[in-house]
Amino acid sequence: MNDLEPDRRAELIAAALAGELTPDEGAELDALRADDPTIDAEFAELSAVAHALPAVERWDDVAPSASLAARIAALDDGGMADAPVTPIRSSRRLMRPLLLAVGAAACVGLGLGGGLLLAAPPAAVEGPPGTLGAVEEVAFEGAPESVEIDAALVAHTWGTETVLTVEGLDAGDAFTVVVVGEDGEEVESGTFLGSTVPIECRLNAAVLREDVAAVAIRAIDGGQIAVAEVPAV
Amino acid sequence: MTIVATPGAAGRSPMSEQRPAFELRDAFAEHGPSLLGFAVNALRDRGLAEDCVQETFLRAWRARERFDGDRGSVRTWLFAIIRRVVLDAHRSRARSPLLVPEHDAPESVHETDPLERIGIVDGLAQLSAPHRDAVVAIHVTGLSYQELSERTGVPVATLRTRVFYALRALRTALDEVDPTP
Repeated sequence: MNDLEPDRRAELIAAALAGELTPDEGAELDALRADDPTIDAEFAELSAVAHALPAVERWDDVAPSASLAARIAALDDGGMADAPVTPIRSSRRLMRPLLLAVGAAACVGLGLGGGLLLAAPPAAVEGPPGTLGAVEEVAFEGAPESVEIDAALVAHTWGTETVLTVEGLDAGDAFTVVVVGEDGEEVESGTFLGSTVPIECRLNAAVLREDVAAVAIRAIDGGQIAVAEVPAV
Repeated sequence: MTIVATPGAAGRSPMSEQRPAFELRDAFAEHGPSLLGFAVNALRDRGLAEDCVQETFLRAWRARERFDGDRGSVRTWLFAIIRRVVLDAHRSRARSPLLVPEHDAPESVHETDPLERIGIVDGLAQLSAPHRDAVVAIHVTGLSYQELSERTGVPVATLRTRVFYALRALRTALDEVDPTP
């Protein structure tokens, strides 16, 4: 494990999430990742949260009004002891949708000497595209010459998994994998960091394989890096 | 600095044998602004939000004998209650559209799943103000760290670490199952 100060690690990850790493910082973070495989996992988790935040639109700072304070004081004095209370339901679902909606990504750098590999898929299943559990090779096109991408899709009952091995994307830059539905709707599958070493990623999207028309890799500014059109199933 | 969430008012010493009491006025003074911040930003309706805060303290006051400081702080307990109140208010409003003059209409909110949005607002409301301000400025408003630094006078490095720990706290908050009050 690298002895880097925790706040420097935090600082670099935060800058990467905002797409603001300088080239030197990108190289610094990439070197740090070689010793600390938790960085990619934490980056993916925090990226999912950061991507969900714009739904808030803005934050209004407010202070309780004098009227509200008076109502609470009256309550403390027993003035509202008989006020009706509406039955309530469990709010457990309230906390779950985000984690289901934002997709999940797991990435590791290959050839780092640590021997890390992402969990292999379950027993190999063979079949045409769309077969549950079968590995479907797909070809990404449009990537810069310096970038190599090997990719496959795996159909699941809950959606579609994208398995990527990517080499040649700028170290420290963030990239997003987007699943494009037959209806044109785009669902973010996860975000990963470019590296000087090959990166293997498994990214999940809650879109059934039969509804997937393409998978795209995009830069953090939305610019398309490569796209794989996939056959209808 | 890694502490993000504001601590609760009635934290109990492990050595204490006496349950911490729920003091309504004290709890409102300490947590009322955060609870109202959550309700206002979740519902975008100041009047309805204040009603939700009042309802929250009414429920807490009635259940005060059952409050157990061993299970969580007053703040955690109150947020668990207001989460339900706000969700019920949101559902009730969605079921009962009202005809009101345009200038009185509540502001429209983003088309994201409202439950997802309310969950994020909930997490933001529980951050300290400096952490919330930083993460909102960068990931909601869209400022660069340099722009935010120039506006606030806070160094870029400090802002970056604030945003990192804010996102981490949000991730934890969104992954927690809230306790039943």
